[in-house]
Amino acid sequence: MSFLDAKPGVPLLESDDLVRHYEVNRGLGKPNATVKALDGVSFSLEAQKTLAVVGESGCGKSTLGRQLTLIEKPTSGALKLNGTEVGHLSDKEAKQFRRTVQMIFQNPYGSLNPRKKVGQILAEPVLLNMDNLGRKEREERVRATMAKVGLRPEFYQRYPHMFSGGQRQRIAIARALILEPKVIVADEPVSALDVSVQAQVLNLMMDLQEEMNVAYVFISHDLSVVRHIADDVMVMYLGRVAEKGPTEEIFAKPLHPYTRALLASAPKIDPTQRVKAEPLTGELPSPINPPSGCAFHKRCPFATEECAKVRPELRNFEGREVACHRVEEIA
Amino acid sequence: MALLEVKNLTVEFGSEDKPFRAVDSVSYSVDRGEVLGIVGESGSGKSVSSLAVMGLIDFPGRVSADSLTFDGQDLLTMPAKRRREITGKDIAMIFQDPMSALNPCFTVEAQIMEALKVHEGGNKKQRRERTLELLNQVGIPDPKSRMTAYPHQLSGGMSQRIVIAMAIACKPRLLIADEPTTALDVTIQAQIIDLLLKLQEDSDMGLILITHDLALVSEAANRIQVMYAGQLFESGPADSIFAAPRHPYTQALLEALPERSEGHDRLRTIPGVVPGQYDRPAGCLLAPRCRYANESCVKARPEVSDFNGRDVRCFYPLNDQGQPTGMATGETV
Amino acid sequence: MSENTTPSAAHASNVAEAAVEPVGAPPSPLRETWDYFKKNRGALAGLIVIAIILFLALAAQWVAPFDPVAQDRTAFLKPPIWMEGADPRYILGTDAVGRDILSRLIHGAQLSVSIGVVVVILSMIAGIALGMVAGYFRGWVEVGVMRLMDIMLALPSLIMALAIVAILGPGLENAMLAIAIVQLPHYVRLTRASVVSELNKEYVIASQIAGAGHVRQMFVNILPNCMAPLIVQGTLGISSAILDAAALGFLGLGAQPPLPEWGTMLSEAREFVGSAWWVITFPGLCILVTVLAFNLMGDGLRDALDPKMKR
Repeated sequence: MSFLDAKPGVPLLESDDLVRHYEVNRGLGKPNATVKALDGVSFSLEAQKTLAVVGESGCGKSTLGRQLTLIEKPTSGALKLNGTEVGHLSDKEAKQFRRTVQMIFQNPYGSLNPRKKVGQILAEPVLLNMDNLGRKEREERVRATMAKVGLRPEFYQRYPHMFSGGQRQRIAIARALILEPKVIVADEPVSALDVSVQAQVLNLMMDLQEEMNVAYVFISHDLSVVRHIADDVMVMYLGRVAEKGPTEEIFAKPLHPYTRALLASAPKIDPTQRVKAEPLTGELPSPINPPSGCAFHKRCPFATEECAKVRPELRNFEGREVACHRVEEIA
Repeated sequence: MALLEVKNLTVEFGSEDKPFRAVDSVSYSVDRGEVLGIVGESGSGKSVSSLAVMGLIDFPGRVSADSLTFDGQDLLTMPAKRRREITGKDIAMIFQDPMSALNPCFTVEAQIMEALKVHEGGNKKQRRERTLELLNQVGIPDPKSRMTAYPHQLSGGMSQRIVIAMAIACKPRLLIADEPTTALDVTIQAQIIDLLLKLQEDSDMGLILITHDLALVSEAANRIQVMYAGQLFESGPADSIFAAPRHPYTQALLEALPERSEGHDRLRTIPGVVPGQYDRPAGCLLAPRCRYANESCVKARPEVSDFNGRDVRCFYPLNDQGQPTGMATGETV
Repeated sequence: MSENTTPSAAHASNVAEAAVEPVGAPPSPLRETWDYFKKNRGALAGLIVIAIILFLALAAQWVAPFDPVAQDRTAFLKPPIWMEGADPRYILGTDAVGRDILSRLIHGAQLSVSIGVVVVILSMIAGIALGMVAGYFRGWVEVGVMRLMDIMLALPSLIMALAIVAILGPGLENAMLAIAIVQLPHYVRLTRASVVSELNKEYVIASQIAGAGHVRQMFVNILPNCMAPLIVQGTLGISSAILDAAALGFLGLGAQPPLPEWGTMLSEAREFVGSAWWVITFPGLCILVTVLAFNLMGDGLRDALDPKMKR
């Protein structure tokens, strides 16, 4: 039994109270500070589903992505693939793990090696992970994957700088897919792209999900994109989960004041969809020195004294999870 | 008379014999107290056109226009010194990245006071008071303590507020905001846009808001211009342009938004990419990507013409039902 | 396991979409670099001079009119041909023992160019290896390597080269080795700086997720992206190597007579500065022109390869 085999009734990818702290050197004479980039995040992802992680910059969503792909090891907490703990794998096991969990990055200009041809970029994962394939089979696999994401065969010999952002993102998607992973962590995969190209890439990702049965952890700040692609949404604020639940319900009736503010802040074309609410005042507090109690209380219109003192835990409410003391009253 | 009037502005780069037109005969005007939204994808020339208005296109770029007037004064023929005075004082501009717009070596106070010194004069005490007033105006909490801060000590939202304070320091009559919120988070974006609109209303400024975000301009602007590959494709009042787009490109852009889709259906995409320097189509620039394009679109470039009170660059502008008009029957693809 | 199954058929919809995408043809990186390079007249002039010197160096045996060490006892210290009392056979005159200066200079080009190239190759290989390891692994490895380089940089380079040659013994090979060691810190620092900035790029993380090991990351993925500044430094390094070798030769610690190394020639001609100017002027001019040419070309290369200098 290894973590690579799916087990019935067990979620594909699961995290329990995942924590990642960074030590920050504040200069001579001062003690090191701790940045709680990720401070206790739990979720579970079923096969072929999409979980969106939403929040503003600094909320820990990218840090979460780095833990899920084991680029960094979590400080504490459990990360399970098919029910087996994978947070502290050896390098060799981690390599196996990454065949199952791949990643797409935000910036298609930085994520492709500028000195390598498309064919070489795509062949690298195959070369390193499938020793039994010969040169010819490897090229075949690369070409088949290129066709799958809509890249023309003659692109095989070209360098990344010859492509537009959308085409580069297709190359990045092909690289993530070529090992046939079960989970792809996509960190803002469309936010660097133009509207028309963004739609192409989103469609491609959805097509590929159906065809290759892959699950996505879709990290994004763009709520309209998330609403379109995700099955479940997890809203994060300062390293913790504010609200978590099925996409339809969260968009229909956001419970946490932060979720509400996020939805109200996003501009809409359709005048009937615009939510007229007071814009959120203030900014994200520093993660080195987070506010006491609820991290959101200084910006929250509903905050009480209790919010400033006691940190709300995530709890069940109307079929989803919310971390707010006053959710009953607000709802 | 309009505050800023641009007629057939063209900006070219590259060699004389094979120029690349980043902006191709674009005309627009902004009035006092008006918000003009310019939308377009990357490479649409939306930023370059406003840089040209500011006189910020350096060699080897070439700017030409039939006319370029600010408050009745011709910007093209006036001496360079006079033009700089106008573009520094009466027209101000803010950019996408607030961090690089501020000099990391000086405090907030020093930078705002420098801007005041150049254009307004006054002694140090007056300038310091004015700086404080400006910081209050742009909604910086505890402005006294922020005065002595360096740019790296400020968040993106705060820096953008400082940049805005510098831009409005000389009470400009026109403010050009080039993607002012693209680098910021949504909740901060909402704050900054509210601030810009408030400042614009209070001082009856003209505001040009350049962005790629359709939803943002639809909420903020009075009039909207849609640009594509250096050309103006459609312009009109904000409330009607997105309710009933006349140009196929505007229509397709709206349909590509995830906001417009239902559930998990696929989005309607615009195939292909914006043409770059090396792959400009001979006919209508949208022809290879347009779902209605026919042979005449591939052969000839349409001019901007009036259609139901809207400026549209298309042979077959769309009607209220979103169908092309003026096509011979059976020609539709 | 699905490991070996070829990915199934393509998506009709997406292929159709992509097929419409027109593909531009921006110039290839090499072509672009050349376009920028040739706009710089100084760099182009440098390139031409270097080409001439290279040709002379390679074809010295056939181009040089005389054997560089052959002495003509009938023609001591003959002036160049445009002066009175010149011997028409010796275009640039002869030195104190009757050797043809032109032939010696041409053969000297061979020596100088090979000194430059060998020194740069030696210190580049060692410098890249050290810099790469320091930049990639960081931590105490980096501290150790970089502090050692700082110490080397704190010593005047010629004095250090002198000390090394004094230990190893005078001679051309030892001089080259000494100069290579002296130049080392530049390559180490340059490589480390590029590696550190490349390390933050997402393509490196992407390769890590793909399963690339340390060696592959360092030399297959990262190194090619760090080469541009190293090539520039290498070109400039050739000129300073030639200069240092000449200096060592002049001090009698480099190439030993009768080898026609330019610096050694200068040294031998010291006593004739007043009486026979040509003996000392021409080797000096050769050093000047060669060094200048390499510097001009290096500057041009830097402008052409540095994306920040481009529009």
